[in-house]
Amino acid sequence: MSPLSRLTLFLALMSSVSFGGIPSVLPDIHDFVVTAHGWLTDRDFSNFFALAQTIPGPNMIMMMGLVGWKVGGIPGAMAAAGATAIPPCTMYFIGYRLWDRFRDASWQKLVRASLAPFTFGLVVAGGTVMAETGDKSWAAIAISAASVILLLTTRRNPLWMLGAAALLGALGLV
Amino acid sequence: MPTGALQQPGAAAPPASARASLGALFIEFIKISMLGFGGGIVLAHRCAVERRRWLTEAEFADALTLCQFMPGPNVVGIAVCIGAKTRGLLGALTAFAGFALIPGTIGFMLAVLYLGQARIPLVQHTLTGISAAAAGLMIGTGLRFLRPHWRDPRAMTLAGAAFLGLAIIKLPLLLILAVLAPLGIAMTALMRPRTS
Repeated sequence: MSPLSRLTLFLALMSSVSFGGIPSVLPDIHDFVVTAHGWLTDRDFSNFFALAQTIPGPNMIMMMGLVGWKVGGIPGAMAAAGATAIPPCTMYFIGYRLWDRFRDASWQKLVRASLAPFTFGLVVAGGTVMAETGDKSWAAIAISAASVILLLTTRRNPLWMLGAAALLGALGLV
Repeated sequence: MPTGALQQPGAAAPPASARASLGALFIEFIKISMLGFGGGIVLAHRCAVERRRWLTEAEFADALTLCQFMPGPNVVGIAVCIGAKTRGLLGALTAFAGFALIPGTIGFMLAVLYLGQARIPLVQHTLTGISAAAAGLMIGTGLRFLRPHWRDPRAMTLAGAAFLGLAIIKLPLLLILAVLAPLGIAMTALMRPRTS
């Protein structure tokens, strides 16, 4: 099997079991492409990760696109991105259809009542982890805190806050 | 435009499919994806619930919960679910295309360009600022979802456990989903006879 077909199959498998998001299987992907096959260096892998985090868009699909690009050029990028996106999206669609069809079933009310607050807690935690890794100065922490407060107390478009923070960053104040 | 048109929370919403054209789904998800630094949940919620009213708050929370517990890139899942809810399979494909195809291609090209360059400090600084705001917006969005449950000790315990596990104790997400979530369901089931 060619390296690209092997990568594509592997990514399709990984994306299908990536409960909690692609980051949860990143260590396995790292082992496969860096340690086992040597298609990428350690540095490539972490550069791709950092880059995908900072460029807007579907981050993890882009990151796997970069991995595929390294293995097989543009066709490699397309195959890897497809393998990352298509299996989960198929499952999301089917899963949502079923979930929505049985939304009044009593088991689902029970599951929803338990898992919804849980999910909200995870969203808050996700933002907290992001702040922890990204906020390296008091100014950055202040921006994060101000964003929390503004989002909770005003109905202003969040893009204003992102724009203002971008400006403060560009001016070297963060 | 439509903001404020349907302000009363109890008002019956017209069927979502009547309001979401495929073109609007496509364009909105391109915007959400391209502007949604640090994950599109904040902007997807703003667009689909507050601005366009394609989904109710509860339906959005529903989709978010489902996506959290399914494998894959969660935010793309939100796009698929909103598309599926409003316009079925075609809607799901359109929302996915808007969210992933065009922004993904642009992002990929930017990344390849950037990898060929030395690091530009101005870009780095700008991104540091954006990332700080994005983190705060995500925390704020989570808290906003929790606001209706503020006085519900059961819901707040579950949210607190999830937060503690992921952000403070730093348990792997998979472990949290596999162990804490079923415990939460059990807890809800046990408390139900008394509370309802």
